[in-house]
Amino acid sequence: MDLVASEEQRLLRDSALAFARDRMGAARAREIEDRAAAGLPAHDAELAAEIAALGWLGAALPVAHGGGGVGLLELALLIEACGTAPCPTTLFGSVVEAGLLLADAGSEQQRARWLPRIAAGEAVLAVALLEEGARLGAHEVQARATPLAGGGYRLDGRKTLVRDASAADALVIAARAGDPEGGEADAGDEGAGVTLLLVERGAAGLAIEPQPASGGEPLFAVALDGVEVGANAIVGEQGAGWPTLERMLARGAALKAAELVGIGQAALDLTLAYARERTQFGRPIGSFQAVQHHCANIYRELVACRLLAYRAAWALDGAGGDPAEPGPRRAVAAAKAKASEAIPWATRVAHQVHGGVGYYRDYPLEQHTRRAIAAAAAYGDARYHRRRLAQTL
Amino acid sequence: MDFALDADQEAFRAELCAFLDAELGDEVRERHRDLREWDGWAAGFAEEFRRRLGARGYISAPWPTEYGGGGRDIVDRVIFAEEMEYHGAPAFDRSVTYIPDALLEFGSEAQKRELLPRIGRGECTFFLGYSEPDAGSDLASLQTRAEERGDSFVITGQKAYSSGADRADYGWVAARTDPDAPKHRGISLFLVEMTSPGIEIAGHATTAGWEHHSVAFDAVEVPRSALVGELNEGWRVIMGAIDTERASLGAPGLVLAQLDRLVAHCRETPDEGAATPGGATLLDDPAVADRLARLAIEVDAAQLVSYWVASLVAHGERGQHESSLALLYKRETARALDVAALELLGPAGALLPDAPGAPLGGAVEREYLDHLYFHFAAGGFDITRNVIATRGLGLPRS
Repeated sequence: MDLVASEEQRLLRDSALAFARDRMGAARAREIEDRAAAGLPAHDAELAAEIAALGWLGAALPVAHGGGGVGLLELALLIEACGTAPCPTTLFGSVVEAGLLLADAGSEQQRARWLPRIAAGEAVLAVALLEEGARLGAHEVQARATPLAGGGYRLDGRKTLVRDASAADALVIAARAGDPEGGEADAGDEGAGVTLLLVERGAAGLAIEPQPASGGEPLFAVALDGVEVGANAIVGEQGAGWPTLERMLARGAALKAAELVGIGQAALDLTLAYARERTQFGRPIGSFQAVQHHCANIYRELVACRLLAYRAAWALDGAGGDPAEPGPRRAVAAAKAKASEAIPWATRVAHQVHGGVGYYRDYPLEQHTRRAIAAAAAYGDARYHRRRLAQTL
Repeated sequence: MDFALDADQEAFRAELCAFLDAELGDEVRERHRDLREWDGWAAGFAEEFRRRLGARGYISAPWPTEYGGGGRDIVDRVIFAEEMEYHGAPAFDRSVTYIPDALLEFGSEAQKRELLPRIGRGECTFFLGYSEPDAGSDLASLQTRAEERGDSFVITGQKAYSSGADRADYGWVAARTDPDAPKHRGISLFLVEMTSPGIEIAGHATTAGWEHHSVAFDAVEVPRSALVGELNEGWRVIMGAIDTERASLGAPGLVLAQLDRLVAHCRETPDEGAATPGGATLLDDPAVADRLARLAIEVDAAQLVSYWVASLVAHGERGQHESSLALLYKRETARALDVAALELLGPAGALLPDAPGAPLGGAVEREYLDHLYFHFAAGGFDITRNVIATRGLGLPRS
């Protein structure tokens, strides 16, 4: 039992914090957001290249494919650090979702093709799971993968809230394969039939449309109209995709919780600096007990969220890390449920302390406030994760 | 970082649990129950149990081996505190969690050699003479005087909230030795034998129904050898051992026990509500399940914060505001559990411990009231937030 970061873990986090502060700050984030708002390509390839050069995009990918082979806990530290700065990265779409999914279930050929390029920042990947209503669950996967006579599949369906899709060189599509008349109708196994297929950019019948979201979160709707892929596009076995997606969702929830911690830390740092400097009634406002208690309360919640997020990442690492097991399941659910409520709350308290200045876009607090909204909603919101947790009681 | 206990820690926990389960069975709990005592245990049994804890080496387990201790580290100390609380064990008080560490850090060699073996055997207890009627959150304003007279000191004053004073062998008493010094500078610490002439103990019924005490000192003479640490350096002694104690007090045994009991109750209790007719239990109500999930998350967090503080200390950090946070987190979580339990017990939840038909033996009503002391004891919620804001977050005092 040792809940203090090791020397190596601290070095990783500190270097990431320094990079986030120097290279991922408010001004750059606004440029990216403005481009997206104007309908221009918003992916910051230069930033992606810098992050790749630092080894972070490949950090958690297998060593055999150009990665660093570190655990999810180290990835959580990186993501937390990046979370303190408002620039979006492709760490979630390319690494947490698609990269680790391919490392988990992809063929040797798929891994060899994509993972080194993700690690080098040369390719962006994304996973298209959600559909109309944006509900998480195997039954919600209604996109069809119809087997073609000569091998391969034809894909039809509508996907929503696909992270990083416009920048993606390839998308992993969750679809239901088999005979539409029945075939997979095993009522006892709700995941039966869910199949994962890789679709490359520019495929005929693939259309991507922005879904502008809070905090500049790069989310897109993806339409598939008769998109044809070869037999080698399948990731894992036909019909066996759901457990793979469950593992991806667990990773996403644990690591989004870590990002929320970074967001909360950024809000607290701004708040403390402001409370020390801002003078009213002849005193720094941070000397008022009410303001002190607001800050102490943010810190209280932040410490809890951080430890829960680290535990979730740790629980998914290694041999016992199956999110279907009660331990990892509870750890992930607790982390995301807590952070999804506590961090947006912390940003609201931060606004209370800041008063009017926090209301304007030329002060950086509101960027974190908006990012917290998007992060809280991703990979299952607080209610969803409390329901999962309650099932373990 | 590693979130699992190692094999040695698991073995320590397993051995401790086996001991507590064997010593504190249902029949023993029933026979020695006494709700007039702070921990609900008859005083005679509590002191007998303290000696059994001592004989097994648990009291001295965290002390250095040169003083007869087991040399166990801070994580084991948290495990011990967690399991003692989880099992609702008696004798888990400041004579175990505070005094030995304060003695080890500030006591004279003679004091350590005389008292530690007796404490370790569970034969000797203390009351903590810090708080006074007019010195609570502002402890440094305490007014009890100790006047130097030749080779002794004469103590006069009033101590309040003196837990365990009625059966203590010694008082660990803070008194003002230099009335002209700034308030933090003129305080000294004394070991006062409770058989000394001039000590009077009064009882006060608490809202939870047990008897608490206050202690009056009327010209109580103690020898110079009773001074702990340097003259006028008592504030250092007071603050010094508090962090280690908070590491024990912040251990999450209480909230783990509260949660397990409440979940079990909701799993076993039929829900008569119209929304879930026919055989459903309270746990089947999504509103109840959601509330329990919230509480479970807080309990997990309280446990993690506690072990985080232990880890910091194990790495050589003082963990001062962090240990305050652990205690705050645990106690606020306990309050949330008290409130939830009382609300989920339904109409019979108001019944007192010995009333026929009281759910969960009426324990929830008593704890709800008893835990009101969390709001002020060992810092209390608001003062702890001040400490976190100023010492932890660097906000200005004025």
